[in-house]
Amino acid sequence: MYKQKIAEEIIRLRLSQMIVNEEHKKGQFKIPLHLAMGHEAIAVAVSEIMQDDDFLLPTHRNMAYNLARAGSLRPILHEYLLKPTGLNGGRSGSMNLLNPARGIVYTSSILGNQFPVAVGLAMAGKIFKKNRVTIVMGGDGSIEEGTFYESMLMARSLNLPVIFIIENNDWSMSTRIHERRSPIDLSLFAESLDIRYVHLEGNNPYLYVDVLKDLRKFSLENSVPVCVEVKVSTLGVFSFKTLEHPEGEPLHPHMGSTPAVSLDKGPMIEESEKDPVFVLTKLIGRPTMEEIARKQRAAIEKEIET
Amino acid sequence: MKYAEHINSILKGLVASSDGLIIYGQNVTEGSRIGGLTRGLDTLMKGKKKMINTTNSENSLVGFGFGVMLGGGTAAFFMKQLDFLFLGIDQLVNTYNIIRNSGQAKGSFTIVPTVVDVANQGPHSSSNNFSDFCSMARIQGFTITNKYDAQKVLTTHFGAPGFRIIGVSHRFLKEDIFDPGVPVFTDKEVKLVQYKDGTDATIACFNFSFPYGWKLGQELEKLGKKPALWNVNYMTPIDWEPILISAKKTGKLVVIDDSNSENLSCFSLLAEARKLNLKKDVVITSKPVDNWFSPVSSVASVDYAKVARDIIS
Repeated sequence: MYKQKIAEEIIRLRLSQMIVNEEHKKGQFKIPLHLAMGHEAIAVAVSEIMQDDDFLLPTHRNMAYNLARAGSLRPILHEYLLKPTGLNGGRSGSMNLLNPARGIVYTSSILGNQFPVAVGLAMAGKIFKKNRVTIVMGGDGSIEEGTFYESMLMARSLNLPVIFIIENNDWSMSTRIHERRSPIDLSLFAESLDIRYVHLEGNNPYLYVDVLKDLRKFSLENSVPVCVEVKVSTLGVFSFKTLEHPEGEPLHPHMGSTPAVSLDKGPMIEESEKDPVFVLTKLIGRPTMEEIARKQRAAIEKEIET
Repeated sequence: MKYAEHINSILKGLVASSDGLIIYGQNVTEGSRIGGLTRGLDTLMKGKKKMINTTNSENSLVGFGFGVMLGGGTAAFFMKQLDFLFLGIDQLVNTYNIIRNSGQAKGSFTIVPTVVDVANQGPHSSSNNFSDFCSMARIQGFTITNKYDAQKVLTTHFGAPGFRIIGVSHRFLKEDIFDPGVPVFTDKEVKLVQYKDGTDATIACFNFSFPYGWKLGQELEKLGKKPALWNVNYMTPIDWEPILISAKKTGKLVVIDDSNSENLSCFSLLAEARKLNLKKDVVITSKPVDNWFSPVSSVASVDYAKVARDIIS
C-alpha cells in the first residue's frame, strides 16, 4: 500500500507539471515558473518523511515540493494564474509559494537566503522545545553563496536539527558547473564541520525515503544538522538557437515551458535513471505505471476543470 | 550616565522581564560588548532566553533573525556598524517582504545597529543615513538621540511583534546621555516627539541631529524668541501633520538633518511644508567635503547665532 502511494505521488507530480508546461506553452501565465520535472523522487521522499511539526524551506524551483505537500494541482495552478482561489490567494505566484499548514513556511527566490532562515527557525524550535526538524533545500548554485557556509556553521555550532538538502542538477540558469567554477566536494566540506553527509543518486524513491527517515531521526535525536546531496536532472533539455549557436545549443529548462516535453507522450520523459518515472517503471513494471498514469491524469484533469 | 550605559540599563530591564529572547551578534558577550550596549545581558539569560556570540555572517544573521521571528520567537541582533548591514540587504528586502506577504510574522525581530556617524572612522561612515536602509523595504526604523526617547523607543518597540531597526549613534556612545526633560507631545509609537512648544519658529531634527536643534532652540531663546522643537525619530514615510500645524502657526520652519546621504528624510517634510507658503524655511544639512569618502571629521559646525538671526529676520 505504501509503495503504491509513493508510485502514485511520483506520477501525480510529473503529470501535474506536464499540465503546467502545456498551459505555459499556451501563454497562460504572467509570472516566472520553474518546472522541476526530474525532481519528483526526492520531493516525494522529503514530503513522505515530514512529520506534522516539521518545516520545509524550498527554493524558487519549488514546484515538485509544493505539489507534494499540497496534494493537488488546482490551488497551485490557480496561484500561478494569480487567482484569489490560489494557494496563497494569488499573492505569491510561483517562486515564493508557501503552504504553512503543510510546513512550507518560507520559500526563497534569492539564492541562499533560505539557509539562515532555516537555522533561525530551528533555533526557535529548540527554544520552544519542538520535536521538529527543519528541512532546507538548495541547489548547486546556492552553495556558492556565503550563506550556505555560514548557515551550516551556525547550525553545527548551535547544535540544531536542520537537514540541508542540496539538489545538484549541474545548472545555474543556463550555465553548467564546469562553466562557472571549480568543483565543490560537499562531503569534505560537511566533514570539516563535523556534519554527517549523505549522497543520493539514482532516483529510487523507496531508497530515498528510507535514507531520509534515518537522517531525520539522527538529526532530531542528536540535535545536529545533516547534509544531503542529491543528484537530479531537471528534464526537458532542448535545443536553443542563438547568434552564437545558429545550429542550436542544448539548454537546461531553467524557466518557463520546455518544448521538449509533451503531455501526450505519457509521464516518462527519458529512458534513463535521470528520470524518476523511468526508475519507478523498472520497480513496479510498465503496465502498473501506465495504469496509475491513466487514473492520475483523469483525476487531475477532473480536479482542475472546476 | 553615558548614552551607551543608559541604553544598556533599559535593555537590562527589558531582558529581565522578557520570558523568551535570543540576543545575538558579533562581540555581544566579548570585548567592548558593542560599545557597552550589551554589557551584562548574558547574566540575565535564563529559561528560554539565550545569548549567542556569533560568527561574522551578516547576511545569515539577518536571515536567522527572520527565521526566529517566523518560528514565533523573539530575536534581537546587535551590530557594531550599520554598514555591516549592507551584507544583509537581500534579507531585509526579499525575506522581509515574503514574510509580510504571507502574514506569518508571529514573532519579533529587532536589529540594533550602531550608526557610524563619526566620519573619521573611515570610508564606511559616509553611510550614516539610517533612513536609507529603512526606505528600501519601508522598514520601521527608530533613532535614539536622548534620554526620554531611548526609554520610550526601546520599551515600545524592542521585542514587540514584527520587525524594526533601532539605530544607535556611534558619536553619542561615550557622551553623557542628552537629557531634554519631558516632552510636551509624543505620539503613541514615538515617531515624533515635541520638546518645546513655541510660536516663533518650528525646528524639526532628523537622523541624529537633535542636539544641534536643541542648541539652535537655546540660541533663539537668548534672542527672546520661543521655538517649537521637534525630534523625528522615525523614518519616512510619516504623517507630518503635527509638525505642519506647528509650522503653520509659527510661519517659519527649520529642518536639520546630519546624514551624509543625497536622499534626506527632511526633504519629505520640506515638500509638504512649502505648500503652506511659510514666511521662511531654513535647511541645515551636511555639506560633504571633497574627500568625503576618506576618514575626515564629521562634527557639524553650525553658527547657531547666525542661523538664529536669519530665522527671526
